[in-house]
Amino acid sequence: MSSIISNLAPLRRQRIAQGLRRGATALLAALVVAGCAGSPEPPVAGAPPRLRLITTQQYVNTLSHIFGPSVTLDMKFPPLQRTSGLLENGAARAGVTASQLEQFQRAAAGVATQVVNEGHRSFLIPCKPGDEKTADKACATAFLTRVGRLLHRRALTASEVDMYVGQAGAAADQVKDFYTGLGIALEAMLISPEVLFIVEKGEPDPQRSGKQRLDAYSLASRLSFFLWDAGPDDHILKAAASGELQTPKGRARVVDMMLASPRLKDGMRAFFDDMFAFDDFDTLSKDPTVYPSFTGVTVADAREQTLRTAIDQLIVKNKDYRDLYTTRSTFISPSLAALYNLPAVPGWEPYEFPANSPREGMLTQISFLAVHAHPGRSSPTRRGKALRELLLCQTVPPPPPNVDFSALENPDAHYKTQRERVAVHLKNPTCAGCHKIMDPMGLALENFDGAGRFRATEAGAPIDRSGSLDGKKFADVAGLAQALHDSPALPSCLVSRMYSYGSGGPTAPSDRPLLQYLNTSFAAQGYKIHDLLRTIALGTAFSQVTRSKKGPVPADDKADGTPPPRTQQTTLNLH
Amino acid sequence: MTARTRAFPMLPRALVAATTVALLGSISGMRSAHATPSSEGDAAVKNGTIAYVLTDRYWAVYETKDGKAECPQGMNDGPREQFKKLFPEGKKRTVVEAQLMREGNQWHPSTSPEPFPFHEAQGKVSFGLNLDGKVGPADFESPEGEKGIDNQMYRVLGCIANYRNSGTIYHFENEFMRRYNNDRMIIELSGVDSLTNDNDVTVTTYRGLDGLLTDATGNAFIAGGTERLDLRWGKEYIRKFKGKIVDGVLITEPIDTIEIPWGVTFETSGYQVFRGMRLKLKLTPKDAQGLMAGYVDVDAFTYHLNTSWSTHHHSYGQLSSPSQYRAMRRLADGYPDAKTGTNTAISSAVTVKFTQVFLERPHDTMVSKN
Repeated sequence: MSSIISNLAPLRRQRIAQGLRRGATALLAALVVAGCAGSPEPPVAGAPPRLRLITTQQYVNTLSHIFGPSVTLDMKFPPLQRTSGLLENGAARAGVTASQLEQFQRAAAGVATQVVNEGHRSFLIPCKPGDEKTADKACATAFLTRVGRLLHRRALTASEVDMYVGQAGAAADQVKDFYTGLGIALEAMLISPEVLFIVEKGEPDPQRSGKQRLDAYSLASRLSFFLWDAGPDDHILKAAASGELQTPKGRARVVDMMLASPRLKDGMRAFFDDMFAFDDFDTLSKDPTVYPSFTGVTVADAREQTLRTAIDQLIVKNKDYRDLYTTRSTFISPSLAALYNLPAVPGWEPYEFPANSPREGMLTQISFLAVHAHPGRSSPTRRGKALRELLLCQTVPPPPPNVDFSALENPDAHYKTQRERVAVHLKNPTCAGCHKIMDPMGLALENFDGAGRFRATEAGAPIDRSGSLDGKKFADVAGLAQALHDSPALPSCLVSRMYSYGSGGPTAPSDRPLLQYLNTSFAAQGYKIHDLLRTIALGTAFSQVTRSKKGPVPADDKADGTPPPRTQQTTLNLH
Repeated sequence: MTARTRAFPMLPRALVAATTVALLGSISGMRSAHATPSSEGDAAVKNGTIAYVLTDRYWAVYETKDGKAECPQGMNDGPREQFKKLFPEGKKRTVVEAQLMREGNQWHPSTSPEPFPFHEAQGKVSFGLNLDGKVGPADFESPEGEKGIDNQMYRVLGCIANYRNSGTIYHFENEFMRRYNNDRMIIELSGVDSLTNDNDVTVTTYRGLDGLLTDATGNAFIAGGTERLDLRWGKEYIRKFKGKIVDGVLITEPIDTIEIPWGVTFETSGYQVFRGMRLKLKLTPKDAQGLMAGYVDVDAFTYHLNTSWSTHHHSYGQLSSPSQYRAMRRLADGYPDAKTGTNTAISSAVTVKFTQVFLERPHDTMVSKN
């Protein structure tokens, strides 16, 4: 064939060659997909349907999607407990205390007041009452049914509609103002348990006899909170209501639509913020006398820098996940630029660290360096521990309760560098066991002080940047970045966290075959987040649940009065 | 001699070879290290240029501990005290006779004899520079002992509470300068070979557009911020003049006329006019501190005072604008009017501190698209 091509005109030859290359690429891709398809998703035991407390960001995102950006959503709910590496897992173990409910109520009142005020009602409420001084059942029904469906993530039942419309009417008549009454009903809806908690329900899986799957609305919510960190929109709810979402083709269409949506960035920001434990920024403080350049703005911007980098690299540019740890591409704000000794215009600008820069990969961004350090000095141990636990999903045991810190904390000790200081760890066998798996990686980051600023020396002594990771030695942070990039635990940790995050609970030992399948698939697809998300979201395991131990509970009447499908009440996983 | 033998001049070649092999062997398996950089990012002095943004400016008032040395008769009266003396209680007056008459005096000041006692600052010590190159009888001596210091403005302001370190203007002029971006004064030094000694540098002044970066305490400023230059609406603030650096101190030649952005309350866009202004600043890569001295245009100064600060502010700092104007006219010592021969400007000094910044010019990206 090559001889035939060589006889053609150059341009035509070039086009044919391009066509062949494209064909080969397509064939290779097909083989990879076929390879994955040839290794079917292994069965998992599954978990009961979950009941999760909505997070602040999920609540904000959902309301923002429903009511738009002109409604101010200034709220922060109490933090969740990090469970198996993720806050999102803690959402399935959370309850609501009276004081928390008060915070939800305050937020709900603020939102409801804005939605019905004169500045918003004309475009957020789809109708006008006949008389603003009295109740208007038709208009209240139109608004509350539409908003209620989006907030509850399912169609409201007829009795629920009646209840909310009744509340709106009674309040309107009492205060002689339709909009005030509507606002009160909306406020009640915003703190409804079924709005604040994401309630999953199971149903028999018609494709797999004896197995349970999420019902369509529960699947819609699981997908939406996974990919968008917000409740499902009208489009997804329609696909759920019509049954399309429960078909492989329909689910694939919806998932692809969600993956193509700009809201995917919000969803993945939430994921990486959770995975990187960036809630630590909420309590981060540095000694201003030691690090005067590290301000409150720095804290916010450092977190934002890494999230922007991750989203740009992995979602916008769809790059290899592992490259996040070696890339020199990032974004710069004026506040951060001062710490990097760079000029910067207001706002965020893309920035590429030059080849001679000591910055390479996420570990060298201020976020990682500053969060995992002491208030007044760097910490190879904390950095190494974070690397192990957050990025490689490994567990570092806590120090023994009787550990003697005196040698380490002795202010009169003549340690010039942190390397000399942490060497004390290795002299004590009790400490050495754990520290040898943390300190050698963290020491490679010693060119950066506790605020993440570059330093060539420490207390006048040159800094030794060498270290090791799992037996791989390196001479500087570039070597650490490459070793991390090449570590098989790096992508497998992401896979585990991503699946756990999406399915709403920690993985179990019985999930190992599934995780192995996802790891293989992730690798075959070039470690692309888009592909991993799609594989997880379309997998059987993602929507499979186990039968509740509590047995079936009669469902409410459907809004249209038709008998509901048989569903099973969620197991309240609030232990 | 090869590079290798130069590194081990006393060793036999065989030993050098063996040592080299051993050294290479010890790092085999390691990814080769990049050379350790000595610093990160852009140096403060890049391509012979360094820039600073103004973060502190105070009219140079030499204050003793209790103020009695320079103000033995106490502080001057302000609007409230003068009003009370002019219009004692017990007689009914119209607004035109009282408040509006005083308002008129403020907006149309005169050099008629001062109806109130005005306390000029006493003593021979003052901050400032020798602006005229002479040592005259009215001149001061600097706290460091330099003679011939020209700062007649100190005589005027020294006993007005507003300008002393507990005064309203002293505090708020800086507070507002830091808060409002249209007050940003930039100096750019170019042709800098060394921040220690360089006999020929060029200084260019600009107005910047961006906020200042405060440190974690909120009370100091961080070097390494960025300022965009206002080359459109800030053209009148651009001046270029020469200077030299001697033992780390920048000393500039006088610039005939320069406007300095000096907006204060509620983001007013005021400015001060200096004649024969020069800088004397101790330079480091992070900051520049010292004096900005020159002859302040009396009319422009008074106009700025009346348009930027309300009588309310004058009152709190015991600052009578008409009395201050008379004193400035009386003590003015420079730039005589060509026709009348009356001095139009008064020697003065401002203690200043600048913090190093990077500059972005309009042809660079002015606002992020992200």
